[in-house]
Amino acid sequence: MAELVLPYSRRCNYFFLYDGSKVRGESDQTREGICYFYPEETPLDRQELLCGQLAGAGRCVSELSSSPVRILNLHRNRFAIRMEDDLLWALGCSVESPHRQCLYQLNSQETLASRWAQYLSHLQSGSSELQHIFSCLTTIDSTNVDPLLLLKAALILQACQRCPLVLAGCILFKGRVVSTQMSPQLTMKVMVHESGTYTKPQRPNGQSSSFGSAVSSTAVFLTPSELQYLQSTPVDKDFSSHSTPHKNTPLKKTRLSRTLSDTPSSTESEPSDPGSSQSPQKLLSPHLSESSVYSSDPSQSTPNPPPPQSPEPPLSNGKHSPVEESLEESYYHSFHSNGEGGSQIDNGGDSSAFGENSHLNGGGVDGACGEEFNFRVAKESHDNKVSEEVSGRGCGRVQGHEVETPDPPRSDAFEHPGESPLIPMTLYLHRVKGLVLALLVEPHFLSDKASMEEVYHSSLASLNGLEAHLRSVSPGVPGAPGPYIFAHFDCIQSTLTSNLSGRPGGAPERPFVRATSLLHSHFCNTETLQEAIIRSAGAAVYGTRSVAQETYFQQHGGSLRNSGIPNHQDSAFSLPGKARHRLLKHGVNLL
Amino acid sequence: MKCLLISSQSAEVLFHWTDPEFYQNVQAQYGASQEDGHGLPAFEDSISTLFAPIIISCITMVDRLGDSYTSFTTENNHIYVLHQFDECLYIAVNGDGEEGEGDLRRKIYVMKKMIEVMFGMVTLSSNLLKRELRPQDTEQRARLWEHLQSLLETYSHLRENDQSFLVEAVERLIHPTLCEQCIEFLERRLVQQLNSSVERAGEEVLHAFILVHTKLLAFYSSRNASTLSTSDLLSLIIMSQNMYPSNTDQDDPNPEDIESTSGSGPESFYTPEPSPTDMDSRSSDMPVRESTPLFEFVDPDVQMAEDSLHTLEVPPPDPSTPRRVFLEVSLKDGLFPMMPHSMYCLPLWPGITLVLLTKIPTSAVAMSVYTFLEAFAKLEKRLNEGQEGPAATRGQPTIHDIRSKLDKFIKALGASEIQSAQLQNVWTDFKNRIGRGGPGFNRELIRSCKNMKTQLCGVYRQCFLIESGTADSPRRLSPGLQERAQTMVQDKLMDWKDFLLVKSKRNITMVSYLEDFPGLIHFICVDRSTGQMIAPSLNITERNVSELGKGPLAQFIKSKVWSLVSTTRRYLQKGYSTVTLRDGDFYFCYFLWFENETGYKLEAGDIPVLPDDSAPIGMLAWDYYRKLLRYYSKNHQGEVVKCYELLTVHLGVIPTEVILQHCRQLASKLWEPSRNPLL
Repeated sequence: MAELVLPYSRRCNYFFLYDGSKVRGESDQTREGICYFYPEETPLDRQELLCGQLAGAGRCVSELSSSPVRILNLHRNRFAIRMEDDLLWALGCSVESPHRQCLYQLNSQETLASRWAQYLSHLQSGSSELQHIFSCLTTIDSTNVDPLLLLKAALILQACQRCPLVLAGCILFKGRVVSTQMSPQLTMKVMVHESGTYTKPQRPNGQSSSFGSAVSSTAVFLTPSELQYLQSTPVDKDFSSHSTPHKNTPLKKTRLSRTLSDTPSSTESEPSDPGSSQSPQKLLSPHLSESSVYSSDPSQSTPNPPPPQSPEPPLSNGKHSPVEESLEESYYHSFHSNGEGGSQIDNGGDSSAFGENSHLNGGGVDGACGEEFNFRVAKESHDNKVSEEVSGRGCGRVQGHEVETPDPPRSDAFEHPGESPLIPMTLYLHRVKGLVLALLVEPHFLSDKASMEEVYHSSLASLNGLEAHLRSVSPGVPGAPGPYIFAHFDCIQSTLTSNLSGRPGGAPERPFVRATSLLHSHFCNTETLQEAIIRSAGAAVYGTRSVAQETYFQQHGGSLRNSGIPNHQDSAFSLPGKARHRLLKHGVNLL
Repeated sequence: MKCLLISSQSAEVLFHWTDPEFYQNVQAQYGASQEDGHGLPAFEDSISTLFAPIIISCITMVDRLGDSYTSFTTENNHIYVLHQFDECLYIAVNGDGEEGEGDLRRKIYVMKKMIEVMFGMVTLSSNLLKRELRPQDTEQRARLWEHLQSLLETYSHLRENDQSFLVEAVERLIHPTLCEQCIEFLERRLVQQLNSSVERAGEEVLHAFILVHTKLLAFYSSRNASTLSTSDLLSLIIMSQNMYPSNTDQDDPNPEDIESTSGSGPESFYTPEPSPTDMDSRSSDMPVRESTPLFEFVDPDVQMAEDSLHTLEVPPPDPSTPRRVFLEVSLKDGLFPMMPHSMYCLPLWPGITLVLLTKIPTSAVAMSVYTFLEAFAKLEKRLNEGQEGPAATRGQPTIHDIRSKLDKFIKALGASEIQSAQLQNVWTDFKNRIGRGGPGFNRELIRSCKNMKTQLCGVYRQCFLIESGTADSPRRLSPGLQERAQTMVQDKLMDWKDFLLVKSKRNITMVSYLEDFPGLIHFICVDRSTGQMIAPSLNITERNVSELGKGPLAQFIKSKVWSLVSTTRRYLQKGYSTVTLRDGDFYFCYFLWFENETGYKLEAGDIPVLPDDSAPIGMLAWDYYRKLLRYYSKNHQGEVVKCYELLTVHLGVIPTEVILQHCRQLASKLWEPSRNPLL
């Protein structure tokens, strides 16, 4: 049991990237293939041992099975592996970590680049073991916050969306989500990025210098499905006070234009996007859907009948190809034209975060469970990463990689002809003390002074007000431990409600957390499983799930003295009823 | 796509088994140019080449990191499970999704168990075991590997189709009158006659049992025999099934007979006392001690008497030649693992087999060898822990204690045909060394200990693995005697034969439960203290239709039961002894509980939480439940503790309260204090 109380950093033991192509000849040393190794203080010979042996054994198994190794277990460590050509990514944690969590980390590993540490600190920052089990978003404790504030946050986001260049956004307060218009996975990526910039001194940005250091921006990349998801959000642009010329440009013509700055893809693809049915709206946070009533325009969705709820990008090849053609150019555009200079490469690394995992984004339940993952972009992120390694760490080798950086999206398109390339976007961050407004905007938003000013000024006052209110909210006093523990996971929003959250995992809660972790894996592996009761000597835990949620419940006290023999009067079997009854007041309906 | 490979640390193949798909895959990868026409040698080479990098990497990781691979999973969901026993590395592979990591690990442990049953204490010396598993002579090697391969296939078949091998407990035929008669017959007539015959060549029948397919009709142990452990009994059933496979599709005479023969009403069923030696008393009066200590022999250049190393003769296909099996024996003065026995497997009719287990005249040697091995292993352990030589030799048992015994033992060996000169030399060297002391003393003494252990295993090997006796007077029950035994039992069971074959497929039927337990689809009840189970039949073959019929539904229920067992094992491994699951249209329950001898339900205790790669939960390869009982009994000193398990499958529409009531009734009805299942 003790092993489960390990701090997170202890459970994330290793992370490395090994490039086998650099260790080909007899004289090549293993260390030359090590692109990055965490923890950095690991003695070099141990680094070499792990990289060399894991790569060798992994290659051997891959050849035998004609398929790359995914998971590799040792007696004491568990590694998530990603092999692509000569590259080997490995992320190791102790074997006690639940399987799922390992996979989740694997998902994210390509987002890390040299910011692995940043990511680690994100993972470690104040989230509880339970949150790790579900890989969920940390939200503000809505029970302590005036609902009007949440509504206000949602309204700020919607106001920003009146600018047609703004796709979607989220508002974060001290590393917690206040309101978001994006999918949970995308929100998570924004948070990882945001937590990284939080501690840094703000760099004045070329375009945004007039707004002071509070505003920054970075180039990011979205997968088509992520983009589609964002665009499918019904947004009423008619209220926009700022009418852009592109708005009225006929669709097909703009598509042919040469640069993306002439092609606001939001307006471009909106009409052609059949995804504007009601379903995506349901996916949004309650705060948003609540308030979206004000702005949703039914006419918006009428031109296209609601499609079957497919998370896949519905783009046909015909529609697709222009984007591909303009891709290389646009990549350069985002990289070299927005003039961020030195910070460019750093950001490039993070930007891959947004190109990461197209599967997760449509995936609802699947995604949240992390059962499957898609490593399609490992290659790009690798290249970005290597270049960062080079520039950031001064290893002094492989300068050539920097030159390669612009290539990946293209090579990706070539290597995976069936898959879509990444789409450049910009992440706009407006920080007001602990509060951050993050908006995903079209890349040319930064050059559109009028739009920027409109967004900035329209939100500034509200953000200040919101910040002041949120700051004054007293941190929720952890209520006296009740007669029961519960955890309620919303698979769609990827949020967790629990009367445990926030508290560090204390001894009495261990059995609950352990049982929850086991049951969650079981639910993920067995589609047909609806509810379960498991009992050890210490605790009986009830778990139930539906398509949209998982709920776990444990009753304290009561006599645990039982013989283990089947007995219908046994208190363990009254858990479902108690859960239904007790959790109603937490807004959890199990009926 | 399945494979099981045993390899030495130098990547030498000690055994391999592959299914046709894996075989083709390897051949394809290695290239058709590799003279595939030659079969074995070429394939052995290619499989060795393909696996060598993993094997070598494994060894490197152990040496340098003190950690090694336990499993790989690839993106197309091929699974590789690795486990190292001593110097032998086992690798099990599945690429068709039919087996999970747990199944593969279980397979590895079962393979190891079968090797132990076949080679006994020779498995305690990696050097000797390597030579046994890989005879120099390719023909011998092929024969040995084929035998092991078919054992493995038999096991896999049973695990996939037989509920008793699913839960790893023995299933008895429920027909009390006949069972009782048979036991009496085995005791009064058969065993008595055999043991009083002069043709038994010094062997003594200890256990006799009749198997109908995999089910036990009658089991008798002679008065001075120790209890046969469930693990060993299950292994013997696999071996007999391997020799005389049940062709379950053909030997089902007329299924219509079932109702007429089993219609005598449930209340008339009971199970007779198994035998005078009460199988259940073991857990209480057996001295608590650790299971087989692990010996380590890491010295590769141990000298062995060369002439004692000519390879083991594979038994010729003479059916009257018994199999040498090594089984656990528990006596008043301790538990002795891997004691030599002879196993006579006499087919009565297809599907019905009589098995005799005899004690061989020289078996006392095995006990002495084990005692010495244990003493040297303990000494070596103390030395390794850093105790100074002189102090270490005074630990229990002291070298003094065994000194005179070992001297006598070697002297006695000298008088026999066993080659013991090398043992004598190493022992003399050891005695000299122990008096010396000085720098490097511990290291030298450890080396000496290892040498002694290897030599002792060598002597054991000569005594029990090499066919002794001369060609004209082999040491075994004479063929005539075996034949007489066969005929006696055949005569006895002649009228019952057809009934038994049917009964074994319809041991108990769900029909008899439908009235009392509406909504109950299936159940399995296991008494872990005796290693016995009962469950309604779930045979699904072309000709054999279970009550669920055949086709998708029956297959579906079967697959649910199989996956339920593996699910509950996973929860049990993590310390959960009660599990209920609502899964699709079904409601599953699992309970594990403890009782004392009078049937009083004991309070549920802590169940140890085990790591993911721990030995598989079961009774065949590694007796989890014996350890669990020992662990639990710590808090119940002086009480006989029994452990039971119940699994049920209900229709999901049945209210939970009713389901739980059913479970309770089943639990108390099936295993009354008298342990007579009321079926």
